[in-house]
Amino acid sequence: MTPPRFPKPLLAWGITLLALGAVAAAIWAVAPDYATVRAGRADAGYLESGDCRKCHETNYTSWHATFHRTMTQEAGPQSILGDFERENTITYQGVRAEMVREKGAHWMKFTGVDGKTQRHEIVRTVGSRRIQQYLTKTGDTWSRLPVAYDLVQRRWIHLNGSFFYPDGTAYTQHVAEWNVNCVFCHNVKAQPGLNWDNRTWKTEVAELGIACGACHGPAGEHAQHALSPVTRYRWNLKEQIAPARLVTNPRRLDSDRSAMICGHCHGQRIPEPPQRIRPMMSVGDPYDPGKNLHEFYKPVQREDKVESAEGPHGEKVSFSFATRFWPDGSPRLTAYEYQGMTRSKCFTAGKPGNRITCISCHSMHDGDPRGQLTERMKTNAACIQCHQQFTTPAQLVAHTKHPAESTGSLCYNCHMPKIVYGIMAAHRTHDITNPRPEETVRLGKPNACNQCHLDWSANRVIAATKRLWPDAYKESNPGDQHFDEPEGQRSLFAGDAVMRALTAAAMTPATDATAPLLLEAMQDTYPIVRYFAANALAGRRPALPKPDYLAPARVREATLQTWYPLWPAELRQAAREARERLAAQRSETDVEVGE
Amino acid sequence: MPSPSHPGAGLIRQGWISLALWIAFGILIEGFSAFRSPAYLDDAVRREMFRLAHAHGTLLNLVLLGAAICAHLNLIRLGPMTSLGLRSAVLLLPAGFLFGGLWHFKDEPGLAIVLVPLGAVLLLATAVYISLTLPRR
Repeated sequence: MTPPRFPKPLLAWGITLLALGAVAAAIWAVAPDYATVRAGRADAGYLESGDCRKCHETNYTSWHATFHRTMTQEAGPQSILGDFERENTITYQGVRAEMVREKGAHWMKFTGVDGKTQRHEIVRTVGSRRIQQYLTKTGDTWSRLPVAYDLVQRRWIHLNGSFFYPDGTAYTQHVAEWNVNCVFCHNVKAQPGLNWDNRTWKTEVAELGIACGACHGPAGEHAQHALSPVTRYRWNLKEQIAPARLVTNPRRLDSDRSAMICGHCHGQRIPEPPQRIRPMMSVGDPYDPGKNLHEFYKPVQREDKVESAEGPHGEKVSFSFATRFWPDGSPRLTAYEYQGMTRSKCFTAGKPGNRITCISCHSMHDGDPRGQLTERMKTNAACIQCHQQFTTPAQLVAHTKHPAESTGSLCYNCHMPKIVYGIMAAHRTHDITNPRPEETVRLGKPNACNQCHLDWSANRVIAATKRLWPDAYKESNPGDQHFDEPEGQRSLFAGDAVMRALTAAAMTPATDATAPLLLEAMQDTYPIVRYFAANALAGRRPALPKPDYLAPARVREATLQTWYPLWPAELRQAAREARERLAAQRSETDVEVGE
Repeated sequence: MPSPSHPGAGLIRQGWISLALWIAFGILIEGFSAFRSPAYLDDAVRREMFRLAHAHGTLLNLVLLGAAICAHLNLIRLGPMTSLGLRSAVLLLPAGFLFGGLWHFKDEPGLAIVLVPLGAVLLLATAVYISLTLPRR
């Protein structure tokens, strides 16, 4: 008996279906399990950027170009940007730091005045835009080393020259523990892993650097569902909103929740209630993008203080944030942009959930990584999104009283002046306000007008604003005779250290009028003020030897000797007298601001 | 040369015409690369889809021509249905890539990509059928 013969076409289709079944089985066998990733941990469901890349190549590529990605990296030839071969030493306060590559690793060696040398292996890097800081690991603790690389000036610096601390501050002042603080904002979903009983750490993060999870939250379920092409096309065709896709998309959240995602790091905060610090330091950061940030944290304001009988090391903690704000409560440091924006009228006058938010202007996947702004958003187009009454040149000039193409008609310059300091640069405030020159008189806060009109006094600016915008400034009153001084000169010498530094930054590059003042500013007791003054001078005469703002006074003076003859002696004498006279007026209370 | 009534004749006509079109398309995407066209180079999905369309379009039409020659030499049996299956698959597969790249979602090919698995299954079934019906020697 012969076996039954199948019709050939049927047999062919049968074999085809069998082959397809085998293919399906193979795909199923190697399918990843995203749904249970990191289960049981604080960062459950958080994926790494490499996982997101498999579907979101475009967004991965744009993120990859950002400084967010390189905020924290494992140390290696690709991540280390400092000069470890040629200009690889810095001597500060008698301690010689030498940065070397040995045995395939990067090292920082410190030789003290006693001749003893300490060596620290660099295991991680922090930052890649303005300065790069270096971490070493001892036991279970990562520590920030006191020497960093200035990526803008291409030189090694001591961190006393980066923060607002005066000369004479201890060499190790800024040796900070990464596990305690930096870990929260420079990575995704920090878990310090502090054991409060024996004070040991088991610090972990979902991903080093500020990666996809920092803004999009846990995406394990999303990725699991998205393994099916049917689901993906259903999402694409229905344009389903983010919750249906089981992942947070800041663009599809209400504006306030969207701002909180950025505010989580760009808005320094303290745990709410304060006792939350304990699970935060042990289990991890409780916030996930999309949640209400204020359920877990209170964004720090000027009046806030931290008082605790037991810090992470069992120490008593007592700390005020007042010096990080101008007297009216407006932030004067970076990483407080959330506080700035949320106190501005652009925010408070809007409807909750449908008002200005960070991504009204910034784009995380477009534009210049330096500021995350598209070219369009660097112009008045940003403000005209809402303030359409200033669209035409005529409307603009009627509003600004400055020529339409001038810097005086760029919205940012008047409404977001550079009165904020951060990482060796002056930044625009995010407290979007109308210029208030009388605040310089009343509060000692820099005003937008004098940021450009450095040679005008505050009183002259107040008079001009009353004349040009009589309704807006009718209640604005001038100050006493101290405010008859040119404001650039007054704030460079009489302001507090932050004000002096910002004024020196505003004077960059120096002019013949400001250079003698800046030469005097090189005598300031705060290295960071001298940093801006030296940059302003070098911007004017790049061919001359640049004064080293971190060098001892006698070394700086020797360099400055080559600068003095460039300006008439009477101008320099007047600048010196102004410094001595105005410095005597200022409060000498130290401003100590870490970031 | 097969007569116009020969089952391979249609395949040869389609093969050469399509081959010419896909070669022209290849020149087009080479031009996009050479002249740095952002519409092509800055669009990762489109770039990948167009490359796949070009590769599949040229290669599968060579297969089509090969099948026609094999049929002419009586090395394979090419009935009307087999011929239709083969010709359809050779059209559908690269067309899916082409149109899936032309109009697409942000990080996903457009809906036309559904033509690709259809064409692939058809191609597989046709290949299996041809191998099952090879003339005995």
